[in-house]
Amino acid sequence: MSSAEDNKDIGDVNDIDGLAGEYVLGTLSATGRAAVEVRMRSEPALREAVRAWEARLQPLTALAEPSEPSPWLWRRIERSVDGLGKASKAQAAGVADWWNNLKLWRGLAAGGFATAALLLAVVVTRVAAPPATQYMVVLVAPENKSPGWVIQANSSRQLNLVPLGTFEVPPQKTLQFWTKADQWRGPVSLGLVKQQGQTLRIPIDKLPPLEPNQLFELTLEPENGSPLDRPTGPIQFIGRAVKVM
Amino acid sequence: MACARGDRTALQQLYQRESRYLMGVAMRIVRQRPQAEDVLHDAFISIWQRAESFNPALGEGRGWVYSVVRHAALNMVRNGARQVSLDEDAAVAVDDQASLAAYAEAGDPFELRADLGRLHGCLSGLEPARRDCILYAYVEGCSHGEIAERLQTPLGTVKAWIQRGMRALRECMG
Repeated sequence: MSSAEDNKDIGDVNDIDGLAGEYVLGTLSATGRAAVEVRMRSEPALREAVRAWEARLQPLTALAEPSEPSPWLWRRIERSVDGLGKASKAQAAGVADWWNNLKLWRGLAAGGFATAALLLAVVVTRVAAPPATQYMVVLVAPENKSPGWVIQANSSRQLNLVPLGTFEVPPQKTLQFWTKADQWRGPVSLGLVKQQGQTLRIPIDKLPPLEPNQLFELTLEPENGSPLDRPTGPIQFIGRAVKVM
Repeated sequence: MACARGDRTALQQLYQRESRYLMGVAMRIVRQRPQAEDVLHDAFISIWQRAESFNPALGEGRGWVYSVVRHAALNMVRNGARQVSLDEDAAVAVDDQASLAAYAEAGDPFELRADLGRLHGCLSGLEPARRDCILYAYVEGCSHGEIAERLQTPLGTVKAWIQRGMRALRECMG
């Protein structure tokens, strides 16, 4: 789907109710859906409109014929829930250097959504991170939530964009890195990701200090970056800053 | 909801009570059984983890669980696997009324049931074509393009039908 299409999906920011309706109905593109999910976290009006549409349309779920899942699905869910319990116990036992353990993050990228959600939950609720680390962001692909990059910010002067795997960039295209805090009027470019597979160190001393919930995203742009002062291409990875101090 | 207290038995009871209905919802959207089971798996993990932040004051727990499953299924199909591309320019020049008339002759693929409550009355009040667009989207997880293909109707028309249909539903249901 083209980026023009995506932008149209999420273009009219004032039509909260229309956007919420199409989100619940399911007709938005992957990018449109991710944008709504991100906006819902900071926009109570959108959250409320989505909730109201969920309630209006929910009786329609009765139109789907019931279908018995295979008998081993519950065992699989149970095993995953057990795994979650163990992981949080290990965290509580004082594992402090998970932060710098890229093997863990790479495993996460392979493990997919369930483990990613687990780690995020752990990060938010119970981790004692190394004292120097203030914020972290996991950038996930909007369509399947698989983590692709981790951002570490150890000071207000620099942040590191760490790839968890390789990402295929089409010819004549490049990834551009953006950030926007809730109160900013527009996104700010943090530069282009030219070297694949390497940690990118980005000075941020000209930016205001990082904020909780600050948005970061990587979009697919023309080779020399977006011609405008905002993203023009589709979002490839997106995430928000979580304070871990 | 009991699993808000981290109660594993409650999660299992929820699974035993709802999984065949949830599986039905996921199957209609993702179409394939293994993918539908992946959706249920991820949704139940998500339910287990998010139950703490779940607020019963905002609605029924059962409805929330269905939303989690639907959105997990929709996120899965929107990653491009099932998308069709249509020439959007060709879609715009359309006679809306002619399309509606042609559609009315083709018959009605969804049988509405009386147990939909108020929604039934409001859906019945819609033009059949607009109603079916909404049902194809909600029940089958169809994108605008897929609905246009199924109904042999231009994309622009389908988008307009859905917008008007949703506005009418909103007015009818409050």
